[in-house]
Amino acid sequence: MSYNSNSVNISVEAPIENQIQEITYDGTEIYQPPLTLSESLAKFAQKIDFSKSNELDIKKDTDEAFEDNKSDSDSKDAFQSSLWPWDSVRSKLRSALQEVCVLADVLAIAKEKRYLVLDPVQQEAVETKPMVQIYARKKALAGAANVLLTGAERLKTSQNEILRNRQTPDFHIELLRLRQNWRLKKVSNSIIGDLSYRTAGSKFFQSGMFEVTKAEEEEKTSSPPSSPAPGIAQVSKSNSSLRVTVPSELQGVAYIEVLCQKDQEDLCSVNLNLLGSGPPTANPEVHWQQKLEAAQNVLFCKELFNQLAKEAVQLQAPIPHMVVGNQIMATVLPGIQLVIGLCHSATADKKNQQTAPAPSKSDHDHVLEHSLHQLLREVHHKNTHHPFPHPSSAPLGPSKKRYLAGPMAADRHELLEMTHTETLLEQIIKQAQHFFMRMRTEYVLDTIAKEVKDPLISSHWNTLNSPTQSCVKINISTHGYDAVCRTPLVIHVGEKSLKCICRDGKVMHMSYEPQELRDLIFCHINQHQILAVQALAKTMGWQFLGNSNHLGLGSVEPLGNASSCLLGSPNGDRVIAVRCEPQSGVQVSVAHSPRTDFFPSRLVTERKWEHLGGQFRDVRLEKMEGRNFLHKMELLMASLTSNS
Amino acid sequence: MSMNRSLPQSKEALLKSYRTRLKDDVKSMLENFEEIVKLAKGEHDTQLSRMTRCEQDTYEMHVRAANIVRAGESLMKLVSDIKQYLILNDFPSVNEAITQNSKLFRTKQAECDQKLMSLRDDMAADLYDLEEEYYNSINK
Repeated sequence: MSYNSNSVNISVEAPIENQIQEITYDGTEIYQPPLTLSESLAKFAQKIDFSKSNELDIKKDTDEAFEDNKSDSDSKDAFQSSLWPWDSVRSKLRSALQEVCVLADVLAIAKEKRYLVLDPVQQEAVETKPMVQIYARKKALAGAANVLLTGAERLKTSQNEILRNRQTPDFHIELLRLRQNWRLKKVSNSIIGDLSYRTAGSKFFQSGMFEVTKAEEEEKTSSPPSSPAPGIAQVSKSNSSLRVTVPSELQGVAYIEVLCQKDQEDLCSVNLNLLGSGPPTANPEVHWQQKLEAAQNVLFCKELFNQLAKEAVQLQAPIPHMVVGNQIMATVLPGIQLVIGLCHSATADKKNQQTAPAPSKSDHDHVLEHSLHQLLREVHHKNTHHPFPHPSSAPLGPSKKRYLAGPMAADRHELLEMTHTETLLEQIIKQAQHFFMRMRTEYVLDTIAKEVKDPLISSHWNTLNSPTQSCVKINISTHGYDAVCRTPLVIHVGEKSLKCICRDGKVMHMSYEPQELRDLIFCHINQHQILAVQALAKTMGWQFLGNSNHLGLGSVEPLGNASSCLLGSPNGDRVIAVRCEPQSGVQVSVAHSPRTDFFPSRLVTERKWEHLGGQFRDVRLEKMEGRNFLHKMELLMASLTSNS
Repeated sequence: MSMNRSLPQSKEALLKSYRTRLKDDVKSMLENFEEIVKLAKGEHDTQLSRMTRCEQDTYEMHVRAANIVRAGESLMKLVSDIKQYLILNDFPSVNEAITQNSKLFRTKQAECDQKLMSLRDDMAADLYDLEEEYYNSINK
C-alpha cells in the first residue's frame, strides 16, 4: 500500500497493542482480538467525509478507494451478507465518480480551447456602499413622487378647467337641468331619454327616444373634420357640455300646413313648395333644449297627421277625402278644399323654413293649425283624465254615461250613440266650414254696406265666439234718424248654415250660399225704409193711412215683394204714397186733394168731389234736396204741410 | 313593466358596487402607499445583487405610485357616476322640479289669459267704435 496523501493516512496495520477489553480482579487484562483487515478497512472508510474534501482530494481518495475496492473485490464475496454498512459508502463513491467523470470531461474540453473557454471569475462581489443605496432609493422615491404629482396635477387641471375655463356649467348640472325637464333613464352605460307624449296620454306608436352623451367625447371625434374653422369648435364648446342625439326621423323641423283653397288651382304650387322648402343645412350647434323641443314638435306633428290620415281614410264622406303622400284633402264646401299637409324637413334651420312657405298663393292658415294642435292635445288630455268617479273594478275610459248604461238599461241604439265621437278631421272640417261661413258673411255684409249708402248698415261682430259658432249683430238705420227707426238683426253663423233672428222675432235659416243672406238683407232694407217713413210721419204729424208689406200690385219682383204705405197730411189734403222694391228702390208719389184750382167739368160738377183724392204724381227723389231718403221725405212732408 | 319590478334589486347591487369600489380604491391607495414606505426602508436580504434590487425597487415604486393615481382617478369616476345616478334617480327632486315648473307655467298661463282677456275687451270696445264709425261714414 502506497500512501501519497498528506491529509488522511490510512493505516492498515493493527496497532501494536490490542485494546484492553476487560481487566479482571486479579489484574489480568483481557485484550480485544485484533481487527481483521477488512474490518479495519471498513472502519476507516466510514470515517471519510467526501463532501468536505476538495476535488483533488476526492479524486485521490476515490482513486484510492477504487484501488481499495479493486483490491478488496476478491474479498467482496465474503462481505455480501454484510452489504448494509457499505451501502452509503458505495453510493457516495458512485456519485463522486460521476462528478469526477464530468469534471474530467469538462477539463478535457476546456483543454482543447475549441469549444469552451474558461474565464477568470471575479471572486469578490461588488461592494456597494450604503450611500449609493440610499441615493438609489431616493431617486426611486422621487420618481414615485413625480408620478403621484403628475397624477394630482392632471386631476387638478381637469377640475380647474371645469370650474374656471368653461362658461357653461359642467355636465352634471346640465344633466340635472335636462332631468328636470325631460324623462331620462339609464340603460347600461348610456342615458336614454324619452320625448314622446306617452305620459301625457298619447298612444302614438313611434317612440321618441333620444340619447344623452357628454359633449367632450363627441367633440374629439367630430373636431378633426371641422378643424379648418376653429371658431366652430369654440362655439360648440361654449354651448353646452351635453350632447343630445335624436333619431334621424325626428330631426329637423316639422309643421302642419293647413291651406284652404278654391277648386284645384293652387294644388300644383303647394306641392312645389313642399318639395323645395328649405335647403338641407345641418346645424348641430343648437342648444339641447331647442333641439328636443323641435324633435318633440316633429313627433307631435307626425302623430297629428297620422291620426288625421287614418280618419280621412275611415270617414265616409259624400265627397271622399283624399290622402296623397303627406297631404290630406277634404272638401269643406262645394268648390272649397281644405288641404292639410305635413311639412317635415330634415334641416334644423327654422328661418329657411319660414321664408319658404311665404310665397305660396293661398296662405297657410295659422288659426286652423293651432286648433288642430289644440284638438290633438284635447285627445291626449282625455286619454289621461278620466271622469270621476273612477270605478274600482271596471276599465277606465268609458264615459260616465256608459257606466250608467247598465243600470239604466240602455238599448243598442243608445249605446251606439254614446260610442260615437267626433273625429279630429270632422272637427277641423267643421271649423274650416265655419271659417268660410264667417268670411262669406263678412264679405256679404261689407259689400252691402258699401253698395247701399242710404240706410246705413252697420254690423258688430260679437267678440265672444267659439271655433264653430259666432254671432253678428246688424243694425239698419238712417243717418240722422237713428232715434226714429232702426232695424236690428242678429245672424248666428254656424258651420254650414246661418240663422237670422229678425226684428219681429222671426227666425230664418239659411244655407251656406251667400246670395240668400244678401237677399234677406235687401228685404230688410226695404222693410226698414217703409217703417222709417211711417215713424217719421208720426213725428211730423202726418197720418198713417195704411201699409202693405207684401204688395200684390205692380211689376213682379225677382225677390220678395214690394211694400208700400200711404201717408196723409195733417189736414188731409195731401197724400204721399211710398213704394219700396228690393230691386228697383223707392218710388214716392204725391197726390193733392182738393186741388188748389178747380174747374168744374161735366163729370165733376162740384168742388167737394175733389176731396176724394186726385192723381198721384211721381216725385223725382234724386232731384230733391236732402242727404238721404228720410231727409228727403221729411223735407217733402214739411213742404207739403206748409203749403196747405 | 317587468323592468320596473327588477329595478330595486339591480339598484341595490349597483349601490353595493359603488360602495365596494370606494373601499377598494381607498384600500388600494393605502396599501400602495404603505408598500412604497416599506420599500423605502429597504431591509431585506435576498440573493439578488444590490443594484438589481435597487432597480426593482424603483420600478415597483413607480408602479405603486401609478396605482395610487389610478385609484384616485377611479374615485373621481366614482364620484361622477354617483352624481349621475343621483341625478337620474332622485325622484323627489324631479317631482319638485315638475311641480315648480307646472306652477310656473300655470301662473304664466293665468297671466297670459288675463292679458288676453283685457286685450280682447279693449279690442272689442275699440272694434265696436270703429265699426260704428266705419259703417256710419260715407267713405267705405
